Amino acid sequence: MRGNKRLWIIALMMVLALVAAACGDDDGEDGDTGDATGGETEEEAYEAPAGTPMADWQEEGSITIGVKFDVPPFGFENPQSGEVEGFDVDMGNYIADKLGVEAEFIEAISDNRIPFLADGTADLILSTMTITTDRDAEIDFSRPYYVAQGRILVPEGSDIQGIDDLGQGTTVCTALGSTYEGTLGEQAPDAKLDLVDAYSECFEKIQNGSVDAVSTDDVILTGMVIQDDSLQIVGEPLTTEPYGVGVANDETEAADFLSETVEESFDDGTWDGFYEEWVGQYTGEDPQHPSELTLEDAYELFPCVETC
Amino acid sequence: MDRILPIITNNLDIYLSGLLVTLQLVGISFVVAMVVGTLVASFRIAPAKLLNWIGGFYVETFRNIPLLVLSIIFSAGLLRAGVSLGKMSAASAALGLYTAAYIAEAIRSGVSAVGKGQIEASLSLGFTYRQTMRQVILPQAFRTVIPPIGNLIIAMIKNSAIVAGSIIALDDILKVARIVNSRTFATNEAFFWAGVGYLLLTIPATIIVRRLETRFAIKR
Repeated sequence: MRGNKRLWIIALMMVLALVAAACGDDDGEDGDTGDATGGETEEEAYEAPAGTPMADWQEEGSITIGVKFDVPPFGFENPQSGEVEGFDVDMGNYIADKLGVEAEFIEAISDNRIPFLADGTADLILSTMTITTDRDAEIDFSRPYYVAQGRILVPEGSDIQGIDDLGQGTTVCTALGSTYEGTLGEQAPDAKLDLVDAYSECFEKIQNGSVDAVSTDDVILTGMVIQDDSLQIVGEPLTTEPYGVGVANDETEAADFLSETVEESFDDGTWDGFYEEWVGQYTGEDPQHPSELTLEDAYELFPCVETC
Repeated sequence: MDRILPIITNNLDIYLSGLLVTLQLVGISFVVAMVVGTLVASFRIAPAKLLNWIGGFYVETFRNIPLLVLSIIFSAGLLRAGVSLGKMSAASAALGLYTAAYIAEAIRSGVSAVGKGQIEASLSLGFTYRQTMRQVILPQAFRTVIPPIGNLIIAMIKNSAIVAGSIIALDDILKVARIVNSRTFATNEAFFWAGVGYLLLTIPATIIVRRLETRFAIKR
């Protein structure tokens, strides 16, 4: 018995040693890659004026970007590779490449993405975030980098064919902290709102029948239709939702840098590539190009409700 | 915290409705937990092996599955299986049945705390098993289990946030705070008032438990 006990202790210590070694390795790797990237891309990298957030990011060698992890095709975990992919991820990598730094992606849901910028958990937010005046009071936005439209998703054969059918006795799912809380409150005041943390929960709810409809951006709904073709998008567009890159409040230089970078992606054709890869090939539709909208137009679409 | 008062005055109606939802969830769950808990405890102490086993199986199942997982099983899980409970029933089933497992254990330990000698003495004096339980053991056990059950009820009030905040998405007081937060970005203020809401439920619960304790205490 005694010998047995000793064996266990030795085994336990070996496991602990392995874990410790693994952790150690990780730390080393992170440091290495950061240095390597910084070194390789130094010549062509953007030169950040001293004292700006961009200079800080370059010094650190990495930026932390908050993206959705459950919203195909913008930010989602690829089940095969376990990596997060999507339009927002590609855009984030494009910005990081411009700075010559490594992009680290963390999950930011609708409800926590703004606090993430305020407390420094994330440096940038690219999480299908619509530019609104209320949000602008808390954070800074780049120019629009994508223009989505608000739509309604219903199961096949549903009586609901548009916003007017969302009346008494119907339940609509959308995300807590999204613009649709307000939009639906105005356009479908009789419908009951089911506010959840993540759109994947709305997807679950419409599949299991506990809600009658899901309302959010067309691209998010398209992602759901790709996963389950018994669902369909109905009705006229409810809203125009220009997405912006979010950065901490009063970081005007960073916001300007992001706007320029976004515009470069329009000019050099990168944006069109992203669109075709993540949206165009599924919808077969031409984009409403975000270059047609300015940041001011975006603020006009969502004037302030709470913060003015 | 400079918006502490406007946040509550502007949103008083939804905070109150959130408080009512939490109260309703806690109230139904309390009844479920006490009824099922007592039943399961009586199974566990009954002089029959099969009942003991059923009681034990219940306790080990519901005590060893995280509450969040139970909430998902009782809502999304059952819906997928074609059973629609409705939000409030699903939430109170998850919370009530989970708490019942702990209540059952508290009652069982209260009964075991009464000396075995008393059962033997009572039976040898000619009491039946039923009389022994009702007149000798349970009155004493009841006294011992008041404090642990009080703790469980307070824990249950707080656990209601986990159930309501799961995929069930009940509009409880925590959810109201999150809605207010998402609209106003006044994070500290919004959740401060949610905290106050929970205290409005837990403090009276604590006082009631303490009263009961003093009332049934053995005066030594």
